[in-house]
Amino acid sequence: MKQGFSVAGIALLGCLLAMTLVFLPGHAEARNIKVGIIDCYSGPAAVYGNDALNGFKMAVDEINKEGVLGGKIEWTKRDTKFKVDLALNMAKELVMREDVDVIVGTINSGAAMAVSEAIAKKEKVPFIAWISKSEKITGEKGHRYVFSTGENTAMAGKAGGVALSKKPYVKYWIAGDDYEYGHAIGNAAWRNLKAGKPDVEKIGESWWKPGEPDLTPYITAILAAKPDAVIFCTGGKSMTNVLKAVKATGMAEKVPIWIHTATDHAVLKPLGSEAPEGVMGTMDYHFYYPDSKTNKAFVEKFEAAYGQAPGFPAFHGYITAYYIAEAFKKAGSLDTEKFIDALEGMKIQSPVGELEMRACDHQVVLPMYLGVTKKAEGKDFAISTEIVTLTGDEVMPTCDEIKAARGE
Amino acid sequence: MELLQTITLPALGSHLLVGLSRAMILFVVTSGMSLVLGVLRVPNVAHGSLYMIGAFAAFSISHLFGGGPLGFWLALILSPFVVAAVSLIAERSLFCHLYEREHLMLLLFTFALMLILGDLVKMVWGADYRSIMAPEFFRGSVTLFEAPFPRYNLFLLVVGPLVAVGLWLFSNKTRVGKIARAAAVDREMVGAIGINVSWVFAFAFVLGCFLAGLGGALVSPTVSITIGMDHDIIMDAFLIVTIGGLGNMWGAMVGSLIFGITQSFGVLFLPQFAIVFPYLEVVIILIWRPTGLLKSVW
Repeated sequence: MKQGFSVAGIALLGCLLAMTLVFLPGHAEARNIKVGIIDCYSGPAAVYGNDALNGFKMAVDEINKEGVLGGKIEWTKRDTKFKVDLALNMAKELVMREDVDVIVGTINSGAAMAVSEAIAKKEKVPFIAWISKSEKITGEKGHRYVFSTGENTAMAGKAGGVALSKKPYVKYWIAGDDYEYGHAIGNAAWRNLKAGKPDVEKIGESWWKPGEPDLTPYITAILAAKPDAVIFCTGGKSMTNVLKAVKATGMAEKVPIWIHTATDHAVLKPLGSEAPEGVMGTMDYHFYYPDSKTNKAFVEKFEAAYGQAPGFPAFHGYITAYYIAEAFKKAGSLDTEKFIDALEGMKIQSPVGELEMRACDHQVVLPMYLGVTKKAEGKDFAISTEIVTLTGDEVMPTCDEIKAARGE
Repeated sequence: MELLQTITLPALGSHLLVGLSRAMILFVVTSGMSLVLGVLRVPNVAHGSLYMIGAFAAFSISHLFGGGPLGFWLALILSPFVVAAVSLIAERSLFCHLYEREHLMLLLFTFALMLILGDLVKMVWGADYRSIMAPEFFRGSVTLFEAPFPRYNLFLLVVGPLVAVGLWLFSNKTRVGKIARAAAVDREMVGAIGINVSWVFAFAFVLGCFLAGLGGALVSPTVSITIGMDHDIIMDAFLIVTIGGLGNMWGAMVGSLIFGITQSFGVLFLPQFAIVFPYLEVVIILIWRPTGLLKSVW
């Protein structure tokens, strides 16, 4: 009898202990945070996907030294091949099968929009868009479960519009890639330029298919129309084609030109001395600017790890990882809703200084650097010079404008 | 009104030249495609991939020789041979077993080859954007018809006709060329008179791919060399050989000229809708002459 009691007692005690362990707050949360990455790792846009991933990996390695809430950040990636349907399937698979806590990605705005609507919003899984630039993601189509750590077309367009409105040019020509990004940048730049300088006049527009190899006819037609300045709305592989055509025709010496991301080193470096000088461009990150200690440390570490300077995607990948880690730490749990509450309005230190995740639209407040292309001394490629920093407040739509866009 | 102000005689002249220079690149690429279509009856979807390999090879060769003028000329001369070597391997190991298959099968096969070559290029050269420079002499522009015209495009205006003349001489004045033309019309008869058709086919295929490589090398100083170049050109190339007449080299020339010039004038007349012009013209031509403007060998 005594023997039986003691066995039952030990079993009961064991059960109690096990129950206590299960219900202890710390224990249930002491697991790894799972991040699912969907981005483009094949095709021309892979250069951006890889750079963003490298920045993210570097940050995760730093974060995991201490860990987050007793666990680590672990990640898995899927190649969307720049396809919206693939991105959707993969995001779904990451949520359903991999049970990820957060989804991040992608360079493709269409894919980001689709994942935001069909997965993040529907399945209530946070999605952080890190390099896609459509302003709709956190603008009119924004919701509780979508965030952006990258600059968007509204910010880029406003930066261009604000900068150009301070110039004396009146007659403009707008030209660019005939798809969502090109038109979004063009519309945002023109809207803001018109608001800042109502007497500006658009004398013409031309749009080519993205990647169009020979842009000379477009340039000669624009020159024939004699505009005071030209807004080019392009990016990726079309950017090099535009800059080469600008250089070959000597356009930059004849007409002032503004192109968002024309000062990106990923564009200027391959062009070498073929890059046209004097092109105005806006960027949200340069590895050589700001010339601060934190940025230098970030760049040195990145170069040591990957053998090249970080591009803007690497910067966004890096801050995204820190936002994820800090928000979970602040939430004190791996609960999605608490994570979102923590992320709203959160400030982190970044290579370019303190950054805030704006609570009203879940868009990170980023400064924009307006510069002019010029051959760098001692380097065989052009860089951005005469850089003017436009603050986040100057280049972002206000919270009221976001509300109006969302019809709230 | 603004539109009419921009359409002046000098503007028309300048756009004609720009269109012609684009047509020359298109011709170099599509003449090779047309040759393969005519002699081998293979609708080679991977032709654009070989054009892309030509551009990437030009990048590597140019850098290997320091990126200067020497590098540029060697790139222009050697990269088509790199492409020819790749195509010879593909022809001897794969294509030569497939010539008798249906066109649909060949289309699918070459489509698969395009995907494989795309991945191979990524493995060899990576996903970064690449660029090469033309020698100093070709940089900048000259003023023609009161508009800036890139010097390099002048060079293209010379190279295009040279390639056309070279191809004409080859197909009309050389024995191999004559055999290839004969094989295009009646391959059984050519085989029956004791000629090794297999090698004639191999030669025609390699020559066609050589031209794709030359096109890629020629275009490389004007564009960003990147994965995806193959997709950008292949649709235009197919449309050009179709409107010109399948397998007809002069058809490729006519198609390229129409395509290049229409595109250039489209930009001048209606810049907002310029993308549509070449495709609209393809529709009109194909309704009017379903087999193309010149005689199709199919």
